Amino acid sequence: MSMFRSKKLDLGGFVNGKIIRDHTKRKVFEQHEAERQALRYVIRNTSLPQRARAQAQLQLATMHAYTRSTQIKNRCVAGGTARFIIRDFRLGRFQFREQALAGELPGVRKASW
Amino acid sequence: MSLLSCPRLLLRAGQRLQPLLLSRHSSSLKEPPSIDTPSIDIPSTSSLVKDNVMSSGEGLLPDKSNSPSVLNGQLTQPSGSPELPVTNWEQRLNGLSGKARLPRSVQAVYLRPLRRKAEHGLPVCDLQLRSYSVRNVEFFSDFAIRAAYYLGLPASGPVPLPRIVERWTVPRSNFVHKKSQENFERITLRRLIQIKDGNPETVQAWLAFLRKYAFHGVGMKANIWEYDSLDVAENLDKTGEETERSLEGLFSYFGQREDTRSDRSLTDMLDKNHLVTTKSPLSEVGSR
Repeated sequence: MSMFRSKKLDLGGFVNGKIIRDHTKRKVFEQHEAERQALRYVIRNTSLPQRARAQAQLQLATMHAYTRSTQIKNRCVAGGTARFIIRDFRLGRFQFREQALAGELPGVRKASW
Repeated sequence: MSLLSCPRLLLRAGQRLQPLLLSRHSSSLKEPPSIDTPSIDIPSTSSLVKDNVMSSGEGLLPDKSNSPSVLNGQLTQPSGSPELPVTNWEQRLNGLSGKARLPRSVQAVYLRPLRRKAEHGLPVCDLQLRSYSVRNVEFFSDFAIRAAYYLGLPASGPVPLPRIVERWTVPRSNFVHKKSQENFERITLRRLIQIKDGNPETVQAWLAFLRKYAFHGVGMKANIWEYDSLDVAENLDKTGEETERSLEGLFSYFGQREDTRSDRSLTDMLDKNHLVTTKSPLSEVGSR
């Protein structure tokens, strides 16, 4: 969402729209994480009055989608693809293969066994 | 001369380090052989000199300063060529190889690392070295053990720990061609060095030294154990006040942020929030 997006580009490396969006989501989630956790705590705490718990539930439901951790998706830092990201290198499968063959990933080599 | 007198150990060390000794040797050559020198020395020097004679006799290597003084008249024609140190280089090296030895500390580099014996065998520090290449990790573990020796720490190891193998299989090209895939792997090699009976401060110094001279491509991880006397509780009580005082600064950071602080209770907050509507969603419609 544009209201969350930073006015100036705050990313380096490979950048496209989807990557900026994902980056924004990560930032928003980080900002609102404490609030979310507090509400979740209120909802689950049975010693609190039922009314307060119900209200907390509503508040949590009305929070923006970008504040959810489930919105975050790992993306390839070199190509921006969202599928088959190898977490150790934060690369998609093809970028990983290219870089591994070029010897840019330390210690990675062709395996045969 | 004393260098020349016990030469044999150098043979194995190879000739790489010869130039270190050369300056000393040449200076010793210039001295005229005296009667006082021990009997072992005389044959060795003379054999060295003979080489010079041979070479200068061939006319390739005219020698001025070295040979005539040593030779005691064997050489008849000292010629005045200015480039003598260069010309004699190889001969000198050959002559030296059997007759001088390196300083002990330099010799030790070519031998297995020395170790101290642990008196009690109490483990104090575990250092784990990791790398993707055998050479690096072997070299650095050797270095670490030598450093431990010179710091007076009894070290055991390097123990080769199991390798960590990570493998990835990726399709060579598009999704359609899933049948053609490629395997990649990354093998992490590990070595464990254990320090026993070390003074904690010395161990810290050792670790700091290793960090200072950290080798490329080698990661380090250290576990350190501290030992205390049996009356731990008393000691803790004694140090408790100090610890509290030192932690005061840190504790001041705990708690809510200034800008988010509010005195309202949780229920108040929930009541006053914009979400609280006494009306049901359809009440507006009904009132119209």
